[in-house]
Amino acid sequence: MKNESGVGFIRLGITGLSLAFLLAGCATRPDMGDTAAIAAYEEANDPIEPLNRYFFELNNFLDIVILRPSAEIYDGVLPSIAKDGIRNFLDNLRSPVILANDLLQGEWDRAGTTTSRFGINTTAGVLGLGDPATGWGYQRHGEDFGQTLGVYGVSEGPYFFAPLLGPAPPRDLAGFGVDMFFDPLTYIFWDDGYTVPVTRFVVNGIDLRARNLDTLDEIERTSIDYYAAIRSLYRQSRVDEIQNGVTDVDALPDISNINFSSEN
Amino acid sequence: MIRNFLKLTTFLRHTKIFMCTAVLSAITLTTPAWAARDEVAEAFVDSLASQAIEILGREDFAPADREAAFRVLFTGNMDVKRIGIFALGQYARTPTAEEKAAYLTLVEDFIVKVYASRLSDYTDQNFVILNSQPKGSKNQEVIVSSQIEFETGRDPVPVEWWLLKSDDGLKVFDVKVLGIWMAQEQRSSFISVIRNNNGNFGALLGHIEAQIGEATQEIESKLTDAEEPTTTDDS
Repeated sequence: MKNESGVGFIRLGITGLSLAFLLAGCATRPDMGDTAAIAAYEEANDPIEPLNRYFFELNNFLDIVILRPSAEIYDGVLPSIAKDGIRNFLDNLRSPVILANDLLQGEWDRAGTTTSRFGINTTAGVLGLGDPATGWGYQRHGEDFGQTLGVYGVSEGPYFFAPLLGPAPPRDLAGFGVDMFFDPLTYIFWDDGYTVPVTRFVVNGIDLRARNLDTLDEIERTSIDYYAAIRSLYRQSRVDEIQNGVTDVDALPDISNINFSSEN
Repeated sequence: MIRNFLKLTTFLRHTKIFMCTAVLSAITLTTPAWAARDEVAEAFVDSLASQAIEILGREDFAPADREAAFRVLFTGNMDVKRIGIFALGQYARTPTAEEKAAYLTLVEDFIVKVYASRLSDYTDQNFVILNSQPKGSKNQEVIVSSQIEFETGRDPVPVEWWLLKSDDGLKVFDVKVLGIWMAQEQRSSFISVIRNNNGNFGALLGHIEAQIGEATQEIESKLTDAEEPTTTDDS
């Protein structure tokens, strides 16, 4: 019964989304004669920009009325030792997903680090509340299936800003779904309704928001188009994560001959 | 581990191969890394970053004076014109001569403020150069990697510097902090504003002007409470 209502809910969501796509329509493709506008349109790779901007505004509204106030209370009320404990616990829960993706990418050293971290932090770190592993030379790193696809050359696809989730272009949205299958919690609480995964999603969201209160304010105040800035930040940080923080100098644009009349 | 290593070295010493392999591997393993590093570029970045951190962290200066001192340092060492044109993409061909001049003035002011605001989060920290590598076939560009380290045990912040060699020395084109190249972020916003205003270049100028006001407030609030920890919200 529960599963049926779950399927119904997903189906409703999909129908709603497709309707929204149809109604909001796509960004108008610029005139063929306007080469600068065509280049800009293609560089943005954001064919449903009006709809994305609508969801972006919706998320900003939810942020102002719910998320930000909760994050401020969380940030102000809890001592930092408690916040760190929560962050460590959530990070540790994610270890199986990180490990699965380390292995799929053939990153054996990083897979070893993830395994050691999980072992150390679950035992010496008391169920993952502490993070002694970092002090012992096992630094945390993240991985997800979107990155694994990226490593194998799957491109990100057109930009999509999902309500609640935030930036989720096709590759990363698919990765998000696959990661749920790698997550033991999905199976442990399969028949238990949504309490555990939803709680985790919400606490994770509040904690991340609390940790970025200043950063996001700063980006908003120093961007002439907040939506486009977030789109660029998301894409750039994904590229950086896929390359595990190592800059690929050959992938950077050529800037040696830039002037006002060039096609840069 | 150490015992095994000792056993191995004793064994190798007896076979006389040890010295040869050690010398050979030292040559083959380390020479390429040394050859690729650019000490001049690394020294340039080290000096520039130390000066920037020092200026933004000076508590005996009023915030406006700190920003003014930072502006002098910044405009002397950044290729602001190149950043400005890069941020326009193909719209670089559309402005009139007056618009170009107005744009370059505004963009300099804006970029100085963005950098001052973001860098003031990292005053009083330890700055370390890690590596450098050439970029491009003309041997005119260098990427210098560095990181900012914190005494609190917080994860270090990786920073990369994209430098260009020209007749009047090295200039910074872009800085990558925590995985984000700043000029690419600006380009995304600038192009988006022009396109969403049907190619009207004047709209971009208006937006930058408005945002300079916001950024000024941001820097003032940051430099004023720079001594306080930045974990709480400042609005």
